[in-house]
Amino acid sequence: MQLAWSPEDEEFRAELIAFLDENTPVEMATGYDFQDMGDEHELVPQWMRDWQATLFDSGWMIPGYPPELGGRNCTPVQTLIYLETLASRRLLRSSHFPGYAIVAPSLLEYGNDEQKKLVPSAIRGDTIWCIGMSEPNAGSDLAGLQTRAELRDDHFVVNGQKVWTSYAMIAQKCFCYVRTDPTLPKHKGISLLIIDVDSPGIDIRPLRHINGTAGFAEVFFTDVIVPRENLVGSLNGGWAITQGSLAHERAGLWVEGVARFEQTIEGLVALARTQGRAGDPIIRRKIAAAYELAASLRALGYKGFASFAQGSSAPEHSYMKMAMSEASKAAFELGMEISGPLAPVTDPALGATTNRFVHGFFLSFANTIAGGSSEIQRNIIAQRVLGLPRH
Amino acid sequence: MDFSLTPDQELLRDTGHKLLERECPPALVRAHIEDPSVYAPLWRHLSEYTALGSGDATDLCLFLEETGHAAAPGPFLATTAYLALTGDETNTGTVCLVDDPTVPFVLEADRVDRIAVVLPGPRLAVIDAAAVPARFVATVDYSRRLFALDLPDLDSGPLDAEFYAQWRDRAFASIAAEMVGTARRIFDMSLAYAKERKQFDVPIGSFQAIQHKLADMSLALERATAAVHYAAMTVDGHDPERSRACHVAKAAAGEAGRRILKDGIQIHGGIGYTWEHDLHLYLRRSTADEYLFGTTGWHLDRLADLLIDA
Repeated sequence: MQLAWSPEDEEFRAELIAFLDENTPVEMATGYDFQDMGDEHELVPQWMRDWQATLFDSGWMIPGYPPELGGRNCTPVQTLIYLETLASRRLLRSSHFPGYAIVAPSLLEYGNDEQKKLVPSAIRGDTIWCIGMSEPNAGSDLAGLQTRAELRDDHFVVNGQKVWTSYAMIAQKCFCYVRTDPTLPKHKGISLLIIDVDSPGIDIRPLRHINGTAGFAEVFFTDVIVPRENLVGSLNGGWAITQGSLAHERAGLWVEGVARFEQTIEGLVALARTQGRAGDPIIRRKIAAAYELAASLRALGYKGFASFAQGSSAPEHSYMKMAMSEASKAAFELGMEISGPLAPVTDPALGATTNRFVHGFFLSFANTIAGGSSEIQRNIIAQRVLGLPRH
Repeated sequence: MDFSLTPDQELLRDTGHKLLERECPPALVRAHIEDPSVYAPLWRHLSEYTALGSGDATDLCLFLEETGHAAAPGPFLATTAYLALTGDETNTGTVCLVDDPTVPFVLEADRVDRIAVVLPGPRLAVIDAAAVPARFVATVDYSRRLFALDLPDLDSGPLDAEFYAQWRDRAFASIAAEMVGTARRIFDMSLAYAKERKQFDVPIGSFQAIQHKLADMSLALERATAAVHYAAMTVDGHDPERSRACHVAKAAAGEAGRRILKDGIQIHGGIGYTWEHDLHLYLRRSTADEYLFGTTGWHLDRLADLLIDA
């Protein structure tokens, strides 16, 4: 156990920092807040597209990948340093994650040669992807999805509905899970299709988020024709692919969440000072408790990473998503408590320093629901990490 | 930043675990309630490891997790803390921190040769334990023995303030390491019980209400353990984060211990409330440790001082 990084890894960090100092877009450096976007903002602004392309072309998009996939074949430890450095500077690689984080690694693992050709553009951001998973009746029980794809000779005919589909309004392609055999047990009748979003029969209706902006959509499929060659993996073999994401980055993805949480806590200290609450013993203790939670979770993330880097499974990472999402919700609530009567005020003249906490509080509900709700996370920890029996 | 254990550290942890499993079963902790002298055979083994007191905090903390896991009686923690403060490798010892809010009592004063007395200043005096009248202070925890000393006027020498601050942080990490060990014991007992105890014809651990409790207990335990390891690394690395990390470790260990003992007994139901069941041996240790070397609240308040006023 030791704190220091190796000289090679410090060199890697220095090279990254030099690149970021040189190339970080001014829009991002001045604190562009994607969470504050209103409808008048582009979901993926042009400068953000350029930034993602620059990262790809320089081998800094997914550094663990080879150069042709936007990387530089770096080690797992270096990937962690990369994610940590980006997070500490509040930098995003991309404003749309499905392509580089889900589609690319899934196609690399399960796609055929033709489909693998879609990977570089997914990582570079030239193609925008959405993921068709959740449905009105398939949320936590994803395997219950009902969107039907009937195989007729050389094509599928797709009918059904997806919901909470992020980026559907601007995507060119959809990575879509469909039921191809309703007679099989539910996990065994699912397949994965690549669907062009401009295919006839697709209707996209944006849904507004809790904060009033439109970030996701309902997607309706009516007799949509999808060529058979767009099937990814085997027929009825789609369930295994739902588990796929950036496996080699998963061990470090918590870093961004922890960094954001720590930045929120720094914000709480500043807020306590400006609101004259820095001497309040109750507020002080609550800020310290939030810091304790963040610091211990950071340590837990690193501890899990050490097991991962040695090739062992890292149960630590099962805890991170659940703990981070609940902790940051509580930190925003503390910000509202410190703000007192100004907490719900959005009027820019009065709420300029306080309103980010109520915004953050509202947005934080997404994180305890999306990508596996906190309740599902607890089931997973209990059953897969602790070995408790299913009921 | 590397949390992985070296082969030597793995060996130390495994050796400690096996030693304590063999020499300090629950029956010994229970016997110690009526007859404190039963600690002697265990101490003959543990005294071979007291040199950890002057070594790396990471190694010491790994071993202390095991003494905490076993709720080991005896002056191991006291002697390692004494050694870290005085460098005296030949005597057993304990520490007495005068006018310090974190430890008003002295651990195991009747079982050691020397007492290192830290006076405000800070100043240090090392005295013969036998020369000082010590009054036993009963607590809920029968596995540790606390004393109040009637100190005479002492000849003391100056103690380097930075060295002492470092020692104190190391002591916070040390007690936190024992606490996560004890918490792990209670957690393991509760998890095993949830898998074996049947009601409504199924193991109670198949109920979501129990599963979610255990998931939360396990998160609290794992993050406290990681916080202790990190704190120990900052001590060894003379890192600027050291004080914060050690306050975090003790506070996280206190929170984890409290959550786990409460929910652990709840999961055990009626049997966990009995004197016959071993759970209360560890419940007692865990409860008392939360108030040694600074309560959870005290550590959070010091953390707030560092975060807000620094």
